[in-house]
Amino acid sequence: MNNRRCVVTGLGLVCALGDNTEQCWSAAINGVSGIREVKSVDTAECYAHKGAEVALTNAELSDEDYDRSSLLCIKAANEALADAGYSAESFDSQRIGVIIGNCVGGAASIDKYYTDEIKNGCANAADILKMPAAAIANNVARHFGLNGTTANIVNACAAGTMSLAYACDLIRAGKADAFVAGGSDSFSSLAFSGFHALHALAEDACSPFNHSNGITLGEGAGVLIIESYEHAVQRGAKIYCDVLGSGVSSDAHHITAPRPDGQGQMSAIKKAIANSGLQFTDIDYINAHGTGTAKNDEAEFLSLHTLFDCNDHVSVSSTKSMTGHCLGAAGSIEAVLTVKAVCENMVPPTIGYSDDDMDALKEKAGSIDFVANSKREKTVNYAISNSFAFGGNNASIVFSKQPHDIPDHTNDQRIFVTGIGELCGTNKVEDKGYRAEITSDDYKEHGIKMAFYRKLDRFSQLQLISGMRAISDANVTIDETNENDIGIIIGTSEGPMTEIASFQKNTVQQGTANGSAFSFPNTVYNAAGGYLSIFAGIKGYNVTVANGIQAGIQSICYAADVLKNGEAQIMLATGTDENTDVTAELLMRAGYVYESSPYTFKSDAFVQGEGSVSLVLETEESCTKRGAERYAEIAGYATAHQSVDFGTLNGSDDALERAIIDACAAADITIDDINAISGFANGHKALDAMETEVYRDIFNRDIPIFCVRDTIGEARAAASAAQAAYAAKVLSGKLGSTQDAFILKANGIEKTTTDISGIKYILAVAVGVGGNYSAIVLKKI
Amino acid sequence: MNTEIAEKIKAMLVENLRIPADELEYNSELFGDDIGLDSIDSIEIIAGIDSLFGVQMTGAARENFQTIETLTKYVEENME
Repeated sequence: MNNRRCVVTGLGLVCALGDNTEQCWSAAINGVSGIREVKSVDTAECYAHKGAEVALTNAELSDEDYDRSSLLCIKAANEALADAGYSAESFDSQRIGVIIGNCVGGAASIDKYYTDEIKNGCANAADILKMPAAAIANNVARHFGLNGTTANIVNACAAGTMSLAYACDLIRAGKADAFVAGGSDSFSSLAFSGFHALHALAEDACSPFNHSNGITLGEGAGVLIIESYEHAVQRGAKIYCDVLGSGVSSDAHHITAPRPDGQGQMSAIKKAIANSGLQFTDIDYINAHGTGTAKNDEAEFLSLHTLFDCNDHVSVSSTKSMTGHCLGAAGSIEAVLTVKAVCENMVPPTIGYSDDDMDALKEKAGSIDFVANSKREKTVNYAISNSFAFGGNNASIVFSKQPHDIPDHTNDQRIFVTGIGELCGTNKVEDKGYRAEITSDDYKEHGIKMAFYRKLDRFSQLQLISGMRAISDANVTIDETNENDIGIIIGTSEGPMTEIASFQKNTVQQGTANGSAFSFPNTVYNAAGGYLSIFAGIKGYNVTVANGIQAGIQSICYAADVLKNGEAQIMLATGTDENTDVTAELLMRAGYVYESSPYTFKSDAFVQGEGSVSLVLETEESCTKRGAERYAEIAGYATAHQSVDFGTLNGSDDALERAIIDACAAADITIDDINAISGFANGHKALDAMETEVYRDIFNRDIPIFCVRDTIGEARAAASAAQAAYAAKVLSGKLGSTQDAFILKANGIEKTTTDISGIKYILAVAVGVGGNYSAIVLKKI
Repeated sequence: MNTEIAEKIKAMLVENLRIPADELEYNSELFGDDIGLDSIDSIEIIAGIDSLFGVQMTGAARENFQTIETLTKYVEENME
């Protein structure tokens, strides 16, 4: 049994139902809809015009000049922290992190940038830093001065549930005392145009488990303060409820549609219930995904009947009938409402049923209590919230009125790198940086047919090829015996920004009514992980983290956490980012790209690269069982954060030191045991200087630094993952006995050929703008 | 068959649906195993045909979507 309790101590909510939790809850239990005519997007030419927007303007949400998604999140986080009794002076900032789910990133700012460019002829470069989803958790952390682990979970409509699940896992692993965890998304022309193109919008307000003729989009943010029980008690906090287990799974079926047989959904729900130590008959309330599309509702009816027909008291509702579908915020908004249901013994209804509809529902509902039109007062001891997303990603989480022992699947197994797949740009194109080359042979090598790969945008292409190369390199065969025990964590800085920008430009030029149904599924950050899971048949954990350059190493830390948590035997940990004309132009306009080389300390810029690097991480048990060849051991890992403005690093060197020291401590070694560093220098003089100064400070001796960006450019998350891959290859002996390295000395740095044969420990450490760092210690076997 | 229309449709399919041009003939089965278009792609074809020729294909019978040839024939017959 795992006796580390996670409890909810604060709630924050802003959505179309109201500006705070009480307003929203009151509306929800009284069946008041937040769905109105859309105001922020021009829907004149569209067949649908409904939305669930937040009335507050950006300025009313918070003071900063951030994208609306960040501002919505700050508004909800502010309420949640105050509700939890936190004030700036009252916490150890390094023990409180921020994990936010999100789908469309800075979509409002992307819309503004391209509208300005296309219609007004002058886009504002300041909007570029507002575009990536990676900015959101950093902005929230910055606003409140929080310096624990940050992450943006970008698995579309399941993101807001996955963020809560990950926060709990990190607290139970002792890596934080508390998290500001939740999800946020703003209303956007991108999402409206995309779902419109898919004919997935309801003409009238959405009608989940009823007419099921499409979704109604919404916006908002839901934030929960999730805290270790001991910490909450220590500071005398009020406790709403416990968070028990969660489940994350992958359909491996279709990029937008759920599996009709509900297998993926059920897998997530089963895991959540098993990880909570509960039975299906224990559950009193299910806050369903209930989007209102025919495909979701049919699959979810099937899943719920299959699993819960044995339960004679379970109630189900979809609060999306009132809040609209708030995408990356949905899971968290629904989590807040579910916590309230547990605390208040009250189930909010699904609204919109006529008398005839009620008759029809009776047949579809069978023995399950689908709560329609008006609230149900009942004892709610255990409640579950479901979220299912594009890419076939599913997540469920359980809340409990009382403490409940949960089974402990954690293990202390050693973790090894058993496969590496790389696809990076090594050809430097003038003014465009390093570009990767993909040919049809790369697909044929893995049996990927044109009918499959033609759907992929560049981001997904890069990820699919590197992922399949890694699986093949590790000699892993995926079949019915292990498909649920294999998972994926993808790290990225900017995600599929090219496809997002292309889609947005088209929407600006052609109008909201003429979005591309073909392109839209690829605009979600988790599409690449979806395609990879579909092609490879991976049905386990599947999360994409958008968190700057360092996300390529943070993904390794996250994947190792999943393995240590007993949620998988094998994990693909990857870093992926693209360099196209679109991203090159954005980076150039933001002032980041120019000619430069690492450790020259002359330029204020770097050369952009692209690619995807995937590592197969595997437990010792799985390695032994398969007889897997091992590159190296992941001996220790750590993440650290020091809040500085997104897009900057100044003042965050303390977090770099912490990441390094903590990773060594986790590996049970001292700084003196590290023989070499796989570093993050990219040619930007301030970044390179900060890196070398911290190393000098910590190591206080000559030490070799391997620099992958010297050959592949600043491929962001791909380059970070490449740092780890390179270190693993050095330790495996596959690179021979010498390699080029930069030798860091007390008063300079020089590039030379270095003997690598005696190296036992390599530190791979990565940086992300906004003050994020992650570090891993790789050990020779 | 009107090759001018066919070429425009082909260019649209290559551009909008990322079908490699060298693997796309006028008589290639668009919804067969090789190219493998699906329902989402047919939405895109309807939008593309509307945008190129002002011809509405919403609700048109499935056989009209089989190849570039059948699409061309439908456009020829329904263009004003």
